[in-house]
Amino acid sequence: MNRPPQSPLVTPAGPSACHWSRFKFPDSLIRYASWISVLVFLTYTVEYLDIPLDRLLGMFGRMGTTLSTRYYPPDIGYTLDVGYLSYVVDTIHMAFLGAIFGLIASIPLAWFGSFNMSPSRRWLYPIARLITMSCRAVHEMIWAILFVAILGFGMLPGVLALTFFCTGFAGKLFAEEIEAIDVGPVEAMRASGANQLQVMAFGVFPQVRVAFTGIAIYTWDVAFRAATVVGFFGAGGMGWYLKRNILQVETERVAAILLSIIILVLISEIASAWARAKVMKMN
Amino acid sequence: MSSETTAQKRAPRLTVDDVLNHRRRAGWSRRVLYVFLLAAMAWSLNVTVIQDTDWARMGSLGNVLGAAGRFAGIDFALFPTLIAPMLETFMIACLGTLVGVIICIPAAWFGAQNVTPFKPITYPLARLAMTLSRSIHEIVWALFFVSAVGLGALAGVLALAVRSVGFIAKMSAEAIEDIDPGPVEAIRATGGNAFQVMLYGVLPQVLPQILSVIVFEWEINIRRSAVLGLVGAGGLGLVFFRQMNTFNYHGVTSVIIAILLLISAGELVSYYARKAVI
Repeated sequence: MNRPPQSPLVTPAGPSACHWSRFKFPDSLIRYASWISVLVFLTYTVEYLDIPLDRLLGMFGRMGTTLSTRYYPPDIGYTLDVGYLSYVVDTIHMAFLGAIFGLIASIPLAWFGSFNMSPSRRWLYPIARLITMSCRAVHEMIWAILFVAILGFGMLPGVLALTFFCTGFAGKLFAEEIEAIDVGPVEAMRASGANQLQVMAFGVFPQVRVAFTGIAIYTWDVAFRAATVVGFFGAGGMGWYLKRNILQVETERVAAILLSIIILVLISEIASAWARAKVMKMN
Repeated sequence: MSSETTAQKRAPRLTVDDVLNHRRRAGWSRRVLYVFLLAAMAWSLNVTVIQDTDWARMGSLGNVLGAAGRFAGIDFALFPTLIAPMLETFMIACLGTLVGVIICIPAAWFGAQNVTPFKPITYPLARLAMTLSRSIHEIVWALFFVSAVGLGALAGVLALAVRSVGFIAKMSAEAIEDIDPGPVEAIRATGGNAFQVMLYGVLPQVLPQILSVIVFEWEINIRRSAVLGLVGAGGLGLVFFRQMNTFNYHGVTSVIIAILLLISAGELVSYYARKAVI
């Protein structure tokens, strides 16, 4: 490892020797060492994961042929079938219910889990944070598998999985929103003798109402995106069609289903963006 | 948002009647919205919980609790064998984020309105790529790459990379659109070419924001990489799948605890890293 250049303050030996560097000695060494260690770690990662780098180059050609020969004419007629469309409607139901239940559950969690408003910083705050974090940390797929194992196949486990997912997702955003409020009105209400619930309802809620609505719409959008695939492990909705056709290697139908998912998600994204813009304007 | 509301309050000279009328109308539309939401909820409840659920097969509450109770317990013997998959999951997340960032550079460059090279073509192209990347779930991407490059960590890395492009590129493009044009013009005036303008004019202004977005996405990628094993991309998901299929429910709980540990570590690192960056 070559030594970094000396600081100009130490060697004032004429303009030619005065070498400018952005970071002075200990900093430069630390930066240098950390970059090197990150690079070493990433190289070791490629080695450890046994990634065949030679395959990467051939990947694009292979993917192109696979796509053009097997997936190319997507079987659109299959996705316009009544059976499939009813599953699409089921997916929308699941996403809606999961988002609503999740939002209902996340509001008290956000209240207890926001550091400035929590009724008890010692007990409720860590518990609420822990619940929110574990809901968010466990992926919606794992929730779906667990609920399918407990309740059996169907849409109810899907709704519950989405509920847990949305609780974690919205709980965190809500709590962050509550932590960012202006404490003036809250203190005024406390000073005039309001209790915790009154402070929450009349001091905090009016400040975060618009942000909450925006987050709620966004949560629905995200829930719909997740709902398209929770059926993959038996939790209802379009995911089940996807899995079935993948297992049957009906690649043209798979392509059509993927296309329909993309289009639906695009529609939901545009709708959610429009609704959020409208909510912001309405205020 | 706040600028819009103040502008709206300032703009026309409103009479009291105008405001009251507006409120009344807004109140009515809100009530209609609530009724609509409730009706949609009732309909959804009817479809999912009443019609679709086979309550008889599910059994009584005791049966359900019994089924859930199978998961109560930890298979401590599994933990030593979980360390390697945990490392694998972590590494897939790191590499996936790295590859995603590399793909993001052109995507963010093309997708920012003020720096895109040829607006009528490159801008919609980049936006389309971002939406496509975000709208397809990581499981679907993983299935696609497993069929393209075969089973193994590479498919997981590529799936995560492609999936994270959308978010990072969108946030980066938005950051680039918000930059101060002064330095860019100064560099252009002194004869810098497009590359130099990007490197010395744009990048220093947006780097902190982009780094914090990357760290955030890295944290999400850890969570995602934990499930990619379910479709054949290695890591903790594969162990989860095996424990589930061998009906070792206590082992399933152990795997979930391992996932939680990994993710809380990632969250801690991401918290301090983002604090250090900003």
